[in-house]
Amino acid sequence: MKNTHRAVLYAFVMLVFVTGCKDSVAKDRFLDIQEVKSKSGITAWLVEDHSLPIIAIRFAFRGAGAAGDPPDKQGLAQLASNTMDEGAADIDSQTFQKTLTDNSITLSFGSGRDNFSGTLRTLTRTKDTAFNLLQLALTKPRFDAEAVGRMKASNITRLRSSLTNPQWIAARIMNDVAFAGHPYAQNSGGTLTSLPTITPEDLRHFATTRLGRDNLVVAVTGDIDAKELSTMIDVVFGALPEKSSVADVADISIQGGGQTVFFEKDIPQTIIKIMQPGIGRDNPDYHTYQAMNFILGGSGFGSRLMEEVREKRGLSYGIYSGLYLLDHLKALSISTSTENKSAGDVLGLTRQEIEKIMKEPVSDTELTDAKSYLIGSMPLSLTSSGKISGLMLSLQLDRLPIDYLDTVDQKISAVTVSKVQNIAQKYLQPDNLTTVLVGKPEGTTPTKTVDTLPNVE
Amino acid sequence: MRFILTFVTLCFLLVAPAQAQEKTFNAETFALANGMQVVVIPNHRAPIVTHMVWYRTGAIDEPPGQSGIAHFVEHLMFKGTNNFPPGAFSKRVSAMGGDDNAFTSQDYTAYFESVAVSRLADVMAMEAERMTGLLFPPDEVLSERKVVIEERRQRTENDPRAYFYEQMRSALFVNHPYGNPVVGWFQELDSLNRANVKHFYETHYAPNNAILIVSGDITAKKLKPLADKIYGVIPQRAVPERTWTDVPPLLAEGRLVLHHPSVRQPVVSRLYRVPSYGMNKDESLALQVLESILDGGAATRLYKTLVVEQKMASNVSLSYHAGALSWGTVNVSMTPSDDVAPEDLEWAYDSVLRVLVRDGVTDDEVRAAKNRMKDQAIFARDSVMGPAMIFGQALLSGETIDDIEFWPNNIEKVTAQQIQDVARKYLNPDDYGRMPYVTGYLLPPQPETEALAE
Repeated sequence: MKNTHRAVLYAFVMLVFVTGCKDSVAKDRFLDIQEVKSKSGITAWLVEDHSLPIIAIRFAFRGAGAAGDPPDKQGLAQLASNTMDEGAADIDSQTFQKTLTDNSITLSFGSGRDNFSGTLRTLTRTKDTAFNLLQLALTKPRFDAEAVGRMKASNITRLRSSLTNPQWIAARIMNDVAFAGHPYAQNSGGTLTSLPTITPEDLRHFATTRLGRDNLVVAVTGDIDAKELSTMIDVVFGALPEKSSVADVADISIQGGGQTVFFEKDIPQTIIKIMQPGIGRDNPDYHTYQAMNFILGGSGFGSRLMEEVREKRGLSYGIYSGLYLLDHLKALSISTSTENKSAGDVLGLTRQEIEKIMKEPVSDTELTDAKSYLIGSMPLSLTSSGKISGLMLSLQLDRLPIDYLDTVDQKISAVTVSKVQNIAQKYLQPDNLTTVLVGKPEGTTPTKTVDTLPNVE
Repeated sequence: MRFILTFVTLCFLLVAPAQAQEKTFNAETFALANGMQVVVIPNHRAPIVTHMVWYRTGAIDEPPGQSGIAHFVEHLMFKGTNNFPPGAFSKRVSAMGGDDNAFTSQDYTAYFESVAVSRLADVMAMEAERMTGLLFPPDEVLSERKVVIEERRQRTENDPRAYFYEQMRSALFVNHPYGNPVVGWFQELDSLNRANVKHFYETHYAPNNAILIVSGDITAKKLKPLADKIYGVIPQRAVPERTWTDVPPLLAEGRLVLHHPSVRQPVVSRLYRVPSYGMNKDESLALQVLESILDGGAATRLYKTLVVEQKMASNVSLSYHAGALSWGTVNVSMTPSDDVAPEDLEWAYDSVLRVLVRDGVTDDEVRAAKNRMKDQAIFARDSVMGPAMIFGQALLSGETIDDIEFWPNNIEKVTAQQIQDVARKYLNPDDYGRMPYVTGYLLPPQPETEALAE
């Protein structure tokens, strides 16, 4: 933009610049994503937007998340995410944090079950400082004993605070039951005994082995062009090891089918969580499944579950179904809460709606409305730089093509009433639900009672 | 749907460009013939808009014994007009590819839809219809009351932290409507009925008591004819002046302790009653800078002192809620480190304040805080709904559009002396009588032997 000659030169030297559009005459793309490759071979997806002096970066390291935590070091990836921004190279924790806040730079790391990820948001004028700090955090984190101790303490108190939250308790039990025997069943936030055993050396080992250029995914939105980004990528990520080493994680299907697991807690409302096996974005049935889920309980207001449970009977503040998708596990989940005495009724209604969508075709109106929402609401995800980067990151993590968003509307449009019913019959398993109840539920008979929370103490 | 903003989380704080006298959002405004105010915040990044109607009514306007009625009316706004039977409103928005919801706070109630700009006129017409045409079908009122009760169970009864916070507010705001939870007291929810919700709605819902805010791919020029046609034709209605009872002088120290069976991790809280922006603009601006100096990140005073240096706490947060019609609040929450008694953490926290009151703040701290705050204004523009929230909350708390647009300039004028003055006046632990606060300990159950010994 600023200097055409230099841009051409740089493009010649180091840029591979693919827009994903087949023809150079701009077809109306949903989102103008560019693929940018750096000299060292790292690829990033970019949406240029110079309307604000802001650059928002999301990145992730595939397979470096909590599923790779050793069982006696649960919480390792989480603790790494808390301490990687606590000083790097010769910059101590307080100086590092002060430089971030004084320059209004947001730098944070996070760990999911599958991936270890990060966010950098900076104003254009502070970008060099921001890139430098991110580079140092990734490649030369200090993991000083003080900072590690402080973050361990913070995680332990947060874990104890979670024990007050019945939603958290229900999710903890569901993980244990539905992912039994798999690393996903671990507590990614750590346990009261595992967290104290994690050492700065463990964190150093984590950072040097799990983060590499080969498992890195980068998405950038904002006030930066492809040429500058290609240089920036190498400045920030170029010094990472070429190869990472992450745990080999097996695929798993939802366990505990047909079981209702109960944890007693003296609260007025029962928390209900349900899971059953599902499918992922790579499955050709995905968009039909998505429409079915939307009608069943995915849409919130207007969904069948919400109509039956909340709108008609006032039994709950809300009931939702959703696709729960991890790299090695695909599930459908349903969650709600209701006054203890109505727990059996809500479970019955939920099962009834699952059976109904299998037995009877959905109405034309329901499907038309679902398709209109799924297609029409896509631009709502483009309202901020961070959201756009997050969207691009998730596409890359799911290994979807760069023009994926341009093709979604056709795939959703092709869904029909009979396809929805076929998919419901093919995948829904009302006799094989894994159910967790926390509270003092009435009108239902649990198959198993749990009195100690797994992977907490 | 429908959620509650217990306090103003976004605040109007997020505003402003680096240069003086430059507007932050370049919002446009005009009024309709019936007195409805309109604000347009242009943002042409995506072909969408967030359309919001904010009513000048909230929990502060509830008659005694009818706590929760403002929020209940908000729920019922989805329960039927002539053209939209119960439940149809959200379905219609969803079928347009849009999202909708609503929320109620102490001071206001707001409804919003995010849709493609081509559907703006449709959602305006829907919102206009329920401004005056709500039907309150009796069976819907009854079943929705059960939903609200479930909402309260889910948010409050199931969560001792929420329950405790409610009690803290109640102790701080004695004789003031801010002492009532927005969702309502449990024992009063059953007394809400068709007659009193209908009366509340008819008293407070009127175009002259509402503000229309549209943010996104739109201009005032394009919006004006639509607004005139759709909202401008709704007749004005006399609305009552907003008044409320105030807190009497409180001499006794407010200290709440709750030992709860499902608590494992103690929490120490402090809640102060301080001026809001509307009550005292200069003091409020000074409190805003002070908030950033005390809790503007891991390298600012509270975290640095209590968590990093002294290891008394594993977490600490302080937030100032300036956007309120009546009093503002400063809300402090701290997690004591293992083996640190709540009393000792409270003492360490008060000591930080004593140093602040005695020595004031440094020029470096003031400079850094102001820079951070002004940068936040740039980030605030990186959103469609965010700016609409900022304008709505600020305008409904008595601010002007210029207060929002020129907030960075006003922040720039705050001096270190003003900051020390507000600290001494409102946060001084040794001058309790002037500006009361409440301290809370949320603790695990007492060991039984100990309880017996007492």
